[in-house]
Order: sequence, then C-alpha cells, then structure tokens
Amino acid sequence: MTILCVRFQLPPTGETALPGLLGLLGEFTPVVEALPPDGALADLRGAERYFGRDAVELASVIRVRALALYGVDCVIGAGPGTMLARMALRDAAPGATCAVSEEAAGEFLAGKPVAALPGVGAATARTLCEYGLDTLGRVAAAPLSTLQRLVGAKTGREVHEKAAGVDRGRVVPNGVSRSLATERPFTRDELDPARHRRALLSAAEELGARLRALDKVCRTLTLTVRYADLPHSRTGSSGGTPTSTTRTRTLEEPTAHSAALTRVAYGMYEALSLQRARVRSLALRAEGLDPAEHSSHQLTFDPADDKLRRIEEVADRAREKFGPRAVMPGALAA
Amino acid sequence: MPGFTHLHAVSGFSLRYGASHPERLAERASERGMDALALTDRDTLAGTVRFAKACAKAGVRPLFGVDLAVEVPGAPRQERRRTPVRGGAFIDESTPRVTFLARDGARGWADLCRLVTAAHTADGTPLLPRSDNHADGLTVLLGPASDVGRALAAGRPDRAAKLLAPWREVYGDALRLEAVWHGREGTGPGSLRLAARTVGFAAEQRIRPVLSNAVRYADPGLGPVADVLDAARRLVPIDGSGELDSGEAWLKDAGAMLGAAERIVEAAGYRREAALRLLEQTRATAAECLVDPEDDLGIGTVHFPEPHLVGAGRRTAQRVLASRAAAGMVRKGYADRRTYWERMHRELDIIAHHGFASYFLTVAHVVDDVRDMGIRVAARGSGAGSLVNHLLGIAHADPVEHGLLMERFLSKERVVLPDIDIDVESARRLEVYRAIIGRFGTERVATVAMPETYRVRHAVRDVGAALSMDPADIDRIAKSFPHIRARDARAALAELPELRQLAGEFQREGKRYGRFWELVESLDALPRGVAMHPCGVLLSDASLLSRTPVMPTSGEGFPMAQFDKDDVEELGLLKLDVLGVRMQSAMAHAVAEVERATGERIDLDALQDGDPATYELIRSTETLGCFQIESPGQRDLVGRLQPATFHDLVVDISLFRPGPVAADMVRPFIEARHGRAPVRYPHRDLERPLRETYGVVVFHEQIIDIVAVMTGCGRGEADRVRRGLSDPESQGRIKVWFAQRAAANGYRAETIQRTWEIVEAFGSYGFCKAHAVAFAVPTYQSAWLKAHHPAAFYAGLLTHDPGMYPKRLLLADARRRGVPILPLDVNESGVAHRIELVSDSAESEGPKEWGLRLALSDVHGISEAEAARIADGQPYASLVDFWERARPSRPLAQRLAQVGALDAFGANRRDLQLHLTELHRGARGAGGGQLPLSGGRRTAPAGLPDLSSAERLSAELGVLSMDASRNLMDDHRAFLDELGVVSARRLREARHGETVLVAGAKAATQTPPIRSGKRVIFTTLDDGTGLVDLAFFDDSHDACAHTVFHSWLLLVRGVVQRRGPRSLSVVGAAAWNLAELVELRVEGGLDEVSARLARPSPEGTGDSTGGRRIQMPTGYELHPWADLRPAGQEPSQVRKLWHQSPGSAG
Repeated sequence: MTILCVRFQLPPTGETALPGLLGLLGEFTPVVEALPPDGALADLRGAERYFGRDAVELASVIRVRALALYGVDCVIGAGPGTMLARMALRDAAPGATCAVSEEAAGEFLAGKPVAALPGVGAATARTLCEYGLDTLGRVAAAPLSTLQRLVGAKTGREVHEKAAGVDRGRVVPNGVSRSLATERPFTRDELDPARHRRALLSAAEELGARLRALDKVCRTLTLTVRYADLPHSRTGSSGGTPTSTTRTRTLEEPTAHSAALTRVAYGMYEALSLQRARVRSLALRAEGLDPAEHSSHQLTFDPADDKLRRIEEVADRAREKFGPRAVMPGALAA
Repeated sequence: MPGFTHLHAVSGFSLRYGASHPERLAERASERGMDALALTDRDTLAGTVRFAKACAKAGVRPLFGVDLAVEVPGAPRQERRRTPVRGGAFIDESTPRVTFLARDGARGWADLCRLVTAAHTADGTPLLPRSDNHADGLTVLLGPASDVGRALAAGRPDRAAKLLAPWREVYGDALRLEAVWHGREGTGPGSLRLAARTVGFAAEQRIRPVLSNAVRYADPGLGPVADVLDAARRLVPIDGSGELDSGEAWLKDAGAMLGAAERIVEAAGYRREAALRLLEQTRATAAECLVDPEDDLGIGTVHFPEPHLVGAGRRTAQRVLASRAAAGMVRKGYADRRTYWERMHRELDIIAHHGFASYFLTVAHVVDDVRDMGIRVAARGSGAGSLVNHLLGIAHADPVEHGLLMERFLSKERVVLPDIDIDVESARRLEVYRAIIGRFGTERVATVAMPETYRVRHAVRDVGAALSMDPADIDRIAKSFPHIRARDARAALAELPELRQLAGEFQREGKRYGRFWELVESLDALPRGVAMHPCGVLLSDASLLSRTPVMPTSGEGFPMAQFDKDDVEELGLLKLDVLGVRMQSAMAHAVAEVERATGERIDLDALQDGDPATYELIRSTETLGCFQIESPGQRDLVGRLQPATFHDLVVDISLFRPGPVAADMVRPFIEARHGRAPVRYPHRDLERPLRETYGVVVFHEQIIDIVAVMTGCGRGEADRVRRGLSDPESQGRIKVWFAQRAAANGYRAETIQRTWEIVEAFGSYGFCKAHAVAFAVPTYQSAWLKAHHPAAFYAGLLTHDPGMYPKRLLLADARRRGVPILPLDVNESGVAHRIELVSDSAESEGPKEWGLRLALSDVHGISEAEAARIADGQPYASLVDFWERARPSRPLAQRLAQVGALDAFGANRRDLQLHLTELHRGARGAGGGQLPLSGGRRTAPAGLPDLSSAERLSAELGVLSMDASRNLMDDHRAFLDELGVVSARRLREARHGETVLVAGAKAATQTPPIRSGKRVIFTTLDDGTGLVDLAFFDDSHDACAHTVFHSWLLLVRGVVQRRGPRSLSVVGAAAWNLAELVELRVEGGLDEVSARLARPSPEGTGDSTGGRRIQMPTGYELHPWADLRPAGQEPSQVRKLWHQSPGSAG
C-alpha cells in the first residue's frame, strides 16, 4: 500500500494548475507520474519511513496541503500497485481515502465491472461482457485458456492476472503527456469539403505549433471524424453516442512541421471521400511524441522544403512575440 | 389586363419538390384573376385528377403536363467517385429536365401518359430515353434546366444551337423556349441574364419564347419550405451559406409577370413593348393546349376488359352471365325454389340495365383463378348481397337466407360503379396479383398507387434533419407525438397532456428552434413518397396505357398506375379490391398444420353452424386472436351480448362500429335481447324487418326496408334516400318527402313521427349487413379453430400475425389455455410455427396433446434463405455439423445460441457462443484450427458463466420479441404481492366500485372516438394470468397520459366497473412506470418505492382543448385528439427488457 492515485478536482479549464500540484506531490516523493489532465500517481515507498506515517495518513496531508496552497480538493486511492490504486480511486471520495491491501484485493475487485480495469478498453470490455464476464470476479473465475481464446493470449493473461488482484504496475516518473490533440467542432452539420479542409488545416497548424513549442516531434497522426447520425441500433429514446470514423497514419519521418502534418491530415480525409456525411467535428491527434533532437530529417535538393521550414521558424517567432493570430495561412485568415 | 397563364407549375405531387397542394394552386390562380393554369409535376401525373376537380370548382381551365428528366446526346459521362465511408453519396440531379404540355386533346393526354410510363421503365431515377422522346400531341418547353438552357447559362449560344437541333427535328413548331426570372444574380437558372439570353436566343433561332415562373408554391413566403423539401430530397441539411430558394417561385399575378417580362426584354436589348409580345406568345401557347378533363381524360366513362377475355367470345356478356348464374342455381341446389329464380332474374335485369355483365364475369374469373391456385378467397362488402355473386361463386353466404338486399349493392337508381372486394390470404396476395396480370396482360392491369403523405412524425424528422438538429432529439420529439396531422402540431403541443413536458422544453428554448414548428406544419399532407396500394387492382380494356401513366412498383415490379384509388374511380377505371387478410393466411396455415401432423383434413368452408364448444369459447370472451372479436371493446360486447348463433355474430360485428356505438344502439339491444326491456315496433308493418334485432335498427338493409315499406317507393330508391341521410341538407328534404309519402300510404302522423325519429337517429350509423355477414364467416371459422385445434390455431396466428396484439400476448394466451410451448430448437423447429405431439394416447390415458413449436422465422434478422437452409439440413449431429451445413451468419448463430436453439449440442449458451466465434474465425482464416469437441458430438464446456434466468428472458425478448419460456411478469410476482396488486384472474371476483391496484405489460393502447366527445385512453395489460382492460378518462390524463403512452410495464390504481357477468374493466386514476418501481425496489428497498409513490402527480386542469370539438357530418361530436394512433412506441415493437444488466447478452 505504497502507491497513491490522486485526482485533483480541477475546474474544467484549470489544467494549468496541474504542474504546481505535481510539484506538491514531489515534496513527498520523486517518483510521480502525471495523469493529465487532472491526476497523478505517486510512489511513497521511501516517504513512509521518512515522514514516519503510512500512505493513508500521508494522503490526508497531501489533501490538506492541496487545499491550503491551491484551494483544490482531491480524491485519493491507495494500493500496493498502480492498478489497485487506480481502482481504489473509483471508490474514494474527498476526505475518504480508499485503500486496498494486497490480501483484500481479490474481494475488492470481484464486484467491479471489467471496463473499470486499467488497460481494458471499450472493445475488450465489450467482448468480455458479451460472454457474461461482466465483473472482475467472473473474469477471475473463468479459465485462463478461455480468456485467451476470447481476447488473445497477451491481453487474456494480463486481464486474468489483474482481475485476480496481481498488480505488477509501477510508477514511471515522466513529465508531459505522450500525445497532443485538438478538435474543430462545427456549429451545424457541415458537408462542405472546403470547410472541412479549412478545419483540418487550422488543426494541423495548431498541433505543429504546439509540438514545436515543446521541442517535440510526432510519429503518427490520427484523424477522428464525428458525425451527427446515431448508429442504427441505438436510435432509441435513450439516445446514443454519435458515430465516428477514425484513421491513423504513420508519418514518413517524425516531424513537427505543420505543412507535413497538414498533408497527412488531408490524405486521410480524402481517403474517406465523404459526400453526404453530416460532420459535427474533426479532431486531430499527434501521437508518439519524441524529443525533437532525437529526430532525423531527410534533406532534399528541392529548396522549397527548406524555405518552408525557415518561414515556419520565422512565423513561430512572430507568433511568440505578437500572439498566436499574428501569422497564419491565407486560407484561415478570411 | 388579361390574366397570365403559368405554363410551368408543380404541386406537392412532385415528391419533395413542390410545396403546395394542387387545390391551393387552383384556388390562388382563380383569386389572382387567371383563366387557365398548367400542372406540370416532376415525373408524375398523379395530381391530375385532384387538379382537374379543383380547377372545375375554382373556374379555371386546367392544362396538363409533366416535367421529365430527359436523356440527351453527348451528356458528359461522370466518372464514378469512390464510395464514401459514411453518409452515402450525393443524390445526382444533374440530368436536364424539360416540360411537356398536352396539346391535342386525347392524343396529347395519351402521349403524356406514354412518356411518363417510358420514363419509369428503367431502373433508378425516372429518365425519359431518347428513343421514346417524340410525340405529336405535345408542346415542349425548354427552360433553364434543359440542356439548351444550361448551355446558355454557360455562355455558349453556339453549343445551345447545336443542342437545339435534335429537339427541333422531333417537335418542330411545338417547341418553346422558356424564360424564368427569379431575381437571382449571375447567369444561372432564375437569373435575369439567363432569361434575357433565352429570349435573345429564341429570336435568333426563330423559336417562340414563353415566360414562366417555374412555380413551386402558391404563395409568397414559402421559400423556407422549399428549402426543407430540397434538403429532404437531397438528403442533406440546409446549407445556410449556400444557395437557398429565391422565394420568388410563387404563383405571381399578371401584373408581376408583366413586370418580369419588361425587365427581361429590356435586358435582352428590346424595347419595353416587346414584353407584351412575350406575354402574347405565352398566352397563345396556353390557348393551343386543349385537353378536356371529361372527354379526353375519360373522367366519367367506364372501361371493362374486352368480352372475349372473360369467356364471352361469341355470345354477349349478358347471355354468358345469365347462363352461368343459372348453372349456379342448379349446382347450389336452388333449382326448385321460385324465390331464388325470381330474384336472380331481377338482379340480371339490373345488371343488364347498367351493362355491367362483363364486370361480374371479370370478377368471377379472378375468383375462379384464385380458388384454382388453392388460395382461400372470400367476398366482402355489399357485393355479398347479390345472389348473382353468390351463384357465380364470388360470395359464400346465401343472401336470400340471411336477408341481404341487392339494392344495397346495385340498383337501377344508383349510377356509381359497383364495388366487389375479395379477401385472399395475405401471404399469397402477390401470387394473386401475378395471376390477374397473367390472365389479362400488363396492358390491361395495373395496381393502384397510394401516396404517403407527411404527418407529424415524418415532418418533424425531415425538418429536424434539414435544420441540423441533434438526431437523438429529433427521434425523441417525433416519438412523443401521437400519429396526428402535421398541421395540428402546435395545437397538440398546447393541448395534449402527454406532450406537456415537450411543450415546456420548447417554451424555454424557443429561439433555438426558430421556425421549426411553422415548417413542420407547412409540410402537412404533402406527398413524401408513393407506394403500391395494398389492395386495389385496375382492370380495363387494352386502352389502359393511353389513359393512365404506369410505373413499376419498387419491390415486385408490378405495373402501378400513378393515380390513387379515388382518382381511378373518377377516371372510370374498374378497380377490384383484392385484400390480403392475414387471418385467412393464419387459418390456412392452421389447417395445413393439422393435416401435416394428423392427416385430418378440415374444410373450414363446410363447417356447420351451431357448434356448442365454439360458442362457449366466444361467450367466455377468451377470443384473443379470433377475427373481428378480439379487441377489448369487442370482448366486452361479446360478454354482454352472449352470442349463440351465427346471426348473433353478425349483429355483434355490426354493433361494434363507431356509428352504432356513438348512437348508443348497443344498450337498448342488449336490454331487449336479455328480456330486460320490451321489444317495440313503431308499426305492425315494420315488425318483419326489425324482428331479428329486437326492434333496434342495426343494419342499412333495415333502413332500406323501413323506407320502402312506409313510402312504397321501392328498395332502389330507398337506398338512395338512405345515402342522403348523412347529409344534413338533404335530410330536411327527405323528412318532408318521407312524411308526405307515408301519410299517403295511410300511416298515422304519430307513427310517421316515431319512425322518422328512428330513421333519422340510426339511418347514417347502421352497418351494411352484407359486410357483417361476410365478416362473421371468418369470425366463426377462427373461433372454431381456437376451440378445437388450439395449437394449430396459435401456430397460424404466430406465423401470420393478424391481430392487433403483439405476438408475445398471443403466446401468453396459448400458455394460459394450456397449449405447451416448445422452445426453439434447430433440430426441431421449422421455418413457420408448427404443432408437435407432446403426449400420445397410445401410452397414456386421455386425448392426444399437441404443443406449439416456435419457428425459425421469428428470430430477429433471419433471412428466408437462412431459415429454409436450417430447416432443410435437419437433423444436425453437432455444433460443427450445424455450422458447416446450415451456414448461418455469425450474428444469427449467436442469437440462436442465446435463445437456446443450440442447447441440444451440449455446453452452456455462452460456451456455444464462444465456439461459434471461433468457428467463424476459423472459417475466415482458411483452414480450421482445433475442433472444439470433446467426446465426439458434445461441445466441450469452456467454463464461461451460463446466462442467468433474467438474461435468458431478455434474450428471448430481444431475439424472438416474445417471452417464450415464461411470462415476463412472473419475475415480479413477489414485489406485486408486496404492493397488494390484484391479478387479472382474481380481478374477475372483484366487486363493482372497488378500488384496486393492477399491473402488467401493456398490450394495446387506443383512443377511439367516443359518443361523449371526450378523449378516453383504453389500455390492455397482460399480467400472465389474463388481461386487464383499463380506461382512463380525461380527468386523469394530466396525471397518467404520459406514463401510459411511454411506459411498457404499468402499475395502475383504479376502480372496478362491472356491466355484466363477463364485462369488467378498471377505470384508471393513477399510473406508474412499473419498470422504474421494480428498479427502485431492487436498489433501494420498499422505502425508495414509497418515496416514489409519495411524489405528487401533476394537477389536472381538465379539458385543455377549451371545449373544442370536431363536428362530424353525421351530427355527433368528436374530441379533436381522439381516434389517433397514440404516442410512444407500439407495444409490438418493444424488443428490450425494461432494464438490461451490463452483462446481458447482445
């Protein structure tokens, strides 16, 4: 019971407060993993002995300090590993830290839905539920071989172990998130390809600028198109999630160059060849972020590419000085 | 100034294009001083008859035309674009369109029909092929949408000249160029520059130009409606930044059109006076188009198939009919009865008088053909009153014996076409159509169209989609409405208690929705599609195709006239109604099942009347599934009336009509029948016609008799008088006439007065006895089947689903009546429901017991081919065997596993699902992996948890729409006992006036018209032990209406009402959603339930319509919102349990 999972109750626009709060956790232990936008994992193994208190008591201290210093309340779950800490967080409330010990893990998990398990996504959860394995207790009771037949060898083994309370998760200290995303919603159902492309251009420009500001490059780009229509099976009065299409492409070389990102985004969009689809929003996500200095760039004899990059550099500087709308592609200026 | 004639105007019959009804166009044309108006709908002539009638009323000369997409030479062939991953491709509207106007009378009309028919021959959107694009009797307008107009818009007069050449070659002097100005910018359609170019080009090419306004709606300000229609047609939302309708395409008056003409000619570089020449050309073109609705369209004339086709090659049709009727006399054994001969000759005289002999022969031929195919067929309607029909084998019941009158059907005084309807098995209706087409040929036979018009739900959906509203919102709003007219949307929102929540929402955020409701209402009754009428078939001579445009129906490819059933009657086309009756199919299936399983042949048509078991069943009111007597109201009436003979059934069916119920004929009849009130006749002479119904007037035939007896005018005349009774105006005249004639016949004033009161009160309400007799035959037959072959009867019902109730209710009824329900099993079940021997008397004592085996065809999403494949491959040895030979799709196999159809293969249902998934994967991944078998044929268990009992029930509802293993209410028995709910069975002992709690699954909801003019919600609940009939009166609507319409499981507090030993209903006072309570009970215990029950219900405000009533022509009042299909989902559509656990299957 040395791992804490903390969720700060930030207002919807309060992401900026997270670094400060991470710093607060850093006063207790150096092993802190950020879970943007509002959470963190902390390993208090050393801190317990140093402060002379156990993890649950330290949780109270953290909460008091967060409230006193930042005026932010928090919810905390504690467990022997990251998985159990996260699961414990679900049952915790402000002021009531939930702690799960290794021995009590099996019992604690038995009644939980499978979708709650970290690492079990919507698809896996759906498959398991289809076969009646809707709670972790049932997953743990099912034969491993059956689970592996259902969801594959690796996932099956992991899910089976986790459901049985075997927690191998460790806190990995890191700084920022591993992906950046942006979305362009439309005020009404939009069919016009020109406006779709404009939205994509603006999204790609933004991603590029944010990547360059962080000195990162991305390896893959994901386009999500959200539509107005509901899936047929779910048009009932209870409503449903609107349908969407997702496409992912790996870039030729990791880059933060806006023009390259735009080109890939356009490519994915064209491949959908949408005509009458009622688009509600377009979202782009840059994934596989690496430090820019680790990336390589294929030089060409074509001076245009080089010029574009230099212009971008200048534009970035202009933006830094005069604000984000100081320089932008002509198509977006209108 | 002389009026302007619009040569190019479309009505709402141009699907999702025109925004005004043809009547409105005609009215406006008359109001705006026009003498003539053309109707040129897109791809259709369906509006023609309505337009012609409206024009005659408004005093405007109608012109007929059509706007067709035409195939033109050298159209740029579009490359196929890639299929979109989502949302579908754009609707292609790029084909040029041209307007054709009928010019030379009947020839012009025939050309028009031919062109429209030709345009519909190919698949896909209507397109007139080049080879058919020629006609002598038509005038052609080439407007902005034509190929020539487009070339001009593109600034290519050279190309336009080239494109004009083929048109000029075919149509020569009948060609016109149409200029349209809608005040648009640029050079596109509707722009001033294009109009001017058109006029200039016309002068250059020496073709006469005309001016039109390409009218889409009658009045200014309807542009937004046109936008919604455009959006609905193109299946895209309205694009606020794109080009919207100009709002100018209305029926402008002469002054405005002169103004437009002046602008156009000036822009073309002529002097202003040239505008008058343009108008003069338009006027002259209109004047040339002379098609007379009576002479040329054939309104008011009759066309029967040629005599040689109906067996009258050498002799006249009348002679053939007479000899066939005489043969029938002998065959049916009436040869020695004089009354029959006299009646036959009298009827033949009447038929000869009208010259309808070939009509009777035609129908007789059709009926013979159908019977030869082994399809059950029966005549219905007033045609059953004719002895000739009976002798020809068209009608079953003997009209003389049942006292049916020929005059109600046809008389010398009646000049309308007689109408014989025949009922056939619904499942084989299309076979019948094919047989008719086969006999008479496609040039004489066509089905009848039925326009589907906008009502509130579709209007909400289309407007919502056009305005980019959230689909979930649209769906919710649409479903909250009862099935009312779109134009009543706002009134309903203000007045209906079940819509109060929605109304509140719209009040709060009214701005967000803008003109939503206005647009919804403006779509009212516009056609939004066209379907084949479910029963009408046109039969004509070989000239049919030159009088009617015909298009193929979408599914079966039958020829279908574009006119609807009223239009074809106006046009004098002979229509035979061939109704598909599901009950006939159900009975045929039941009889076939009995024969298959036992070898016993049942001839339903030869059943003797008076079977005690059958009448006992009917009197017990357990008549679910019986033809005509299964509705809650009928069950109540049957309980009070206690029928004992066939005649009682006839009366029962006649009494249960809106008219008799509204006129309160039921109570006096019941009183007199059970001897609680004396039987009275106004006069001794009237005893004969009124004796059979205890002095109460029930049948039309009785009114005819009364009038004939009192006035001595003859029955033909008396029928005409009877028809006049429903019209208040003529009623006054009839009253005077009746008094005079009766007095002349020596009746006393007092008697006349009393008789007239009866005639006046019941005259327009009664029911045609011939109809009732025709209905009562299948009623008796179905009740007989239910009494003697229950399992087969339910098998038939479930297979063909004829009733008003969901299938699960029929299944519950079967279970209650002790018919064993055998689960679905791929080794046992057939495509249709079957019967199976459960216990054999050879081994055990007692009679053979037959069970009902559920059918594969009821599995959700199964195709006919799949069901047949599974049934053909039986038996299967193992899961793998089943998978390989029956080759079910994966979802289907999963569903079969969920409902236990694969239980025979071992392992539990979830394990089976896993095996199926792997078989599916194995099949895809070429070369199977391991066979999941242990011990040979049994499937190895995989250790997955089996479906729980609730999950099984949920799966059954989801897959079969039926709770097959047990009644779904059984699960709540404990909770209902806690609440003290009275079961349907115990309710029978409840006292009158007792307050009770009842609960159950909703089986049917209705708001029929009621004599008091109030809106009453009738609901039937099924709780596993029987049915509970509930009535909610309007003082409880505020509290209950929403709950009753939108919940499936209901808990109701009410007061017991008893009206007879078998007549019982509960008047509801409060209603709760039982599903919600059950959930509260499970989660929070009884205290939570108490808290929910303690919540106050909304206060009743009484009648929210402010006393508004619809005055019916017959004199009684109707609540404005009665007689509608109610809000919410139909109970038969419910496929889900009230709640689903996260682990539920599917």
